[in-house]
Amino acid sequence: MEFNRRAFIKIAGLSILGLSVKPGWQVFSKIDTPEPSPDAETLAQRKWGMGIYLQKCWKDAGCRVCIDACHRIHNVPNLGTLKEEIKWVWTEPYEKVFPEHEFEVTEEDYRHKPVLLLCNQCDDPPCVRYCPTRATWKREDGIVMMDFHRCIGCRYCMAGCPYGSRSFNWRDPRPFIKNVNLEFPTRTRGVVEKCNFCVERLAQNKIPACVEACKEKALVFGDLKDPRSEIREALKFKTLYQRQPELGTKPKVYYIL
Amino acid sequence: MLDHRQKIIGEDTVLFEHIWKSGKGFYITVSILGALVLLGLYAYVTQYRTGLAVTGLSRQIFWGVYITNFVFFIGISHAGTFISAVLRILKAEWRRPISRLSELTTVFILMFGVGSVLIDLGRPDRMLYAIRYANFQSPLLWDVCSIATYLTVSSISLYLALIPDIAMLRDLGGKREWFYRILSLGWRGTEGQHHRLDKAIGFVSVLVIPVMITVHTVVSFVFAMTIQPLWHSAIFGPYFVVGAIFSGVASVIVVMAVLRKAYHLENYIKPIHFNNIGIFLMAMTLLWFYFTFAEYITIVYGNEPIHMAIFWSKISGKFAPLFWLHFVLCFIIPLPILAIRKYRTIRGTVIASISIILGMWLERFVIIVPTLTRQRMPVDGAYYIPTWVEWSILTGCISLFMLLYTLFTKVFPIVPVWEVREGREKAVTQVGERIRSYLPETGADQNLLSPGGRG
Amino acid sequence: MYDGKKIILGLIIFLGLITYPIWHNTVSGKARYVPKPELPTDKDKKECVEPKAFIRVNHKTLLEDWKTSVVRDGVRTYQASNKKKYTMSLNRTCMNCHTDKTKFCDQCHNYMGVTNKCWDCHIYPKELKKG
Repeated sequence: MEFNRRAFIKIAGLSILGLSVKPGWQVFSKIDTPEPSPDAETLAQRKWGMGIYLQKCWKDAGCRVCIDACHRIHNVPNLGTLKEEIKWVWTEPYEKVFPEHEFEVTEEDYRHKPVLLLCNQCDDPPCVRYCPTRATWKREDGIVMMDFHRCIGCRYCMAGCPYGSRSFNWRDPRPFIKNVNLEFPTRTRGVVEKCNFCVERLAQNKIPACVEACKEKALVFGDLKDPRSEIREALKFKTLYQRQPELGTKPKVYYIL
Repeated sequence: MLDHRQKIIGEDTVLFEHIWKSGKGFYITVSILGALVLLGLYAYVTQYRTGLAVTGLSRQIFWGVYITNFVFFIGISHAGTFISAVLRILKAEWRRPISRLSELTTVFILMFGVGSVLIDLGRPDRMLYAIRYANFQSPLLWDVCSIATYLTVSSISLYLALIPDIAMLRDLGGKREWFYRILSLGWRGTEGQHHRLDKAIGFVSVLVIPVMITVHTVVSFVFAMTIQPLWHSAIFGPYFVVGAIFSGVASVIVVMAVLRKAYHLENYIKPIHFNNIGIFLMAMTLLWFYFTFAEYITIVYGNEPIHMAIFWSKISGKFAPLFWLHFVLCFIIPLPILAIRKYRTIRGTVIASISIILGMWLERFVIIVPTLTRQRMPVDGAYYIPTWVEWSILTGCISLFMLLYTLFTKVFPIVPVWEVREGREKAVTQVGERIRSYLPETGADQNLLSPGGRG
Repeated sequence: MYDGKKIILGLIIFLGLITYPIWHNTVSGKARYVPKPELPTDKDKKECVEPKAFIRVNHKTLLEDWKTSVVRDGVRTYQASNKKKYTMSLNRTCMNCHTDKTKFCDQCHNYMGVTNKCWDCHIYPKELKKG
């Protein structure tokens, strides 16, 4: 056949039609997807929140039980330098976490006391907007998830988080994990990680490791939608704070003084 | 045979010489650049094997030299579009000898802009996930789209303007004739073809200008769309575009001067070209100063603690030396050189341009890093010292750009021969007619009463 | 042919060297090697999530589907074709029975030259240790 414009368009059209064969086949051949378990559905209807009773936390000075529990079960490496540190949960002095609480006449007592910081699992998370691959997203139950398989390590989510909750794996973390927990994977180098509200424990009806580990019961966790949950009890307190609520991120970690 | 070649080359021998003759200077240049590229490659391999831990980046300051390079290189890419597209639309005839070298700067440096981001990724093996799982809410995806468009349109623009020259090289025959024949797409130089080419180039020139503005605006949005102090500013869009054209035109001046010297193009790239671009660069200097001033005075007047903490770190704190150095390089040094006619010589504009290029790299650095040292939390002690890996990769990128540029000039003429000839043959009459059309009519068809009542 | 003998000799040597990967394994007997993945011996670990024929061909797709389901959809229970329910987890389900990666997974993977990145993160128990 003479190769003119018509012929070219005919062949191009047929090729494009041919490209639709595989997707069409997949749609019509009914690939089985697993049934959602009843647990997943009920989990999704909740809205998780965490409350931190600061006075209870300060009873034991230098306590790190929650941090150690979290880092142990999640294989968080200890790289030993400020430069490369990875932390899912950590503490900062009160005056740095809530600089807006500084008045001329201020409580000297707790200015330097440690406040537990973690990912706030915001309801309107800025980090989710910036991720170019949706490697981080908000689940229906409010947890901001990290997909380590998809993260390309651009660190834009770290730039977007106003709370500095995210850490990056600057090198292979495995040599730096003291006691490996075989139940949970490690991460590779080049991905961002953060607290995930122990999503794998929630799926087994357990509470987050930090909440469980706290001896003073300073951490409470629960369903914000359930009026009888521990977290709703905590929210009845008047001295209730959040980190920078004016940013509109709607954080779900509450601090009770 | 020789006669036919001489007819094509005409009086523009020097425009073709750099393709065929390679002196000692060429080989020395290529060797040095090649060595620097290998150094950059070695640095990258080191980084690929260990991870980004070999850089000076940290949990607090996680964006540094690589992202600065990204913004800087994309900024320089705005030069070509301005000089070839904008000047073409404005019918500025002096753009003719320099349109290709600036367009080439654009196309080649864009690749290094994109490359800098890819070098910065933690998992570069997953770089295509940004396309496969694209999240269009993310400014990085807007970047991907706009830079891809810009690269495509600029490449097309470069190629279209190359076609008549490729045809000329094809007609000259020789060993590479088959190569030029394929690329020339059957160009015969007829009236009709010229007319169509002009329309095509005109269309692409108009198309590339909004794309150019979009590109650096979108690059600025990577920072402006976050809620970090001193990043979340509406002025970033136009500020970065102005900064881009500023640094880009400065780069083109340096490229012009180097090529003029190396390839003896004194007859084609003249002091008037440097003078005209110099005046434009002076306007950009003032415009850049205006935007910088507006940005900082707004911050100072607002006096918000989180913002002021970073502001003071730039003015009098940790970053003060870099901040004031960049200000001197971007404004204090270039402005008198470019403003005063006596100093706006070739040497003067080149000195001003080099100063501007260095200053603008520092400007990007001083925008990105100080915000990260603190963000919204009063964190002390965070510092960022780039390692040899980052500096080597920066050097490697610039060297590879220069190397590819040099190799291009060995295949194609760097001054667009057909455009210069078109200027020589037709432009004078065209411009003369155009100017005559602006002037008032003379002659008998005036039925006006003269003011003095002469009747 | 000018210099014919040298050329043909050189060609034969060259062809021999370049096809070395093809004939070496057959000649040295290594090609007769068949991978022998060790199956678990416990009585209660006889049934896999899916039948052998299906798993052998589809375990990669199965694990990728599990990955998508657990991480992105939050669904962790797998309804197998034998009507039993399993937790979708490489470490806790698959590795529960196939405890030693080197004796099971690597046997076929190494033979086929298959590399996967799963083990970069999903660590494997080094020894069979119950409890």
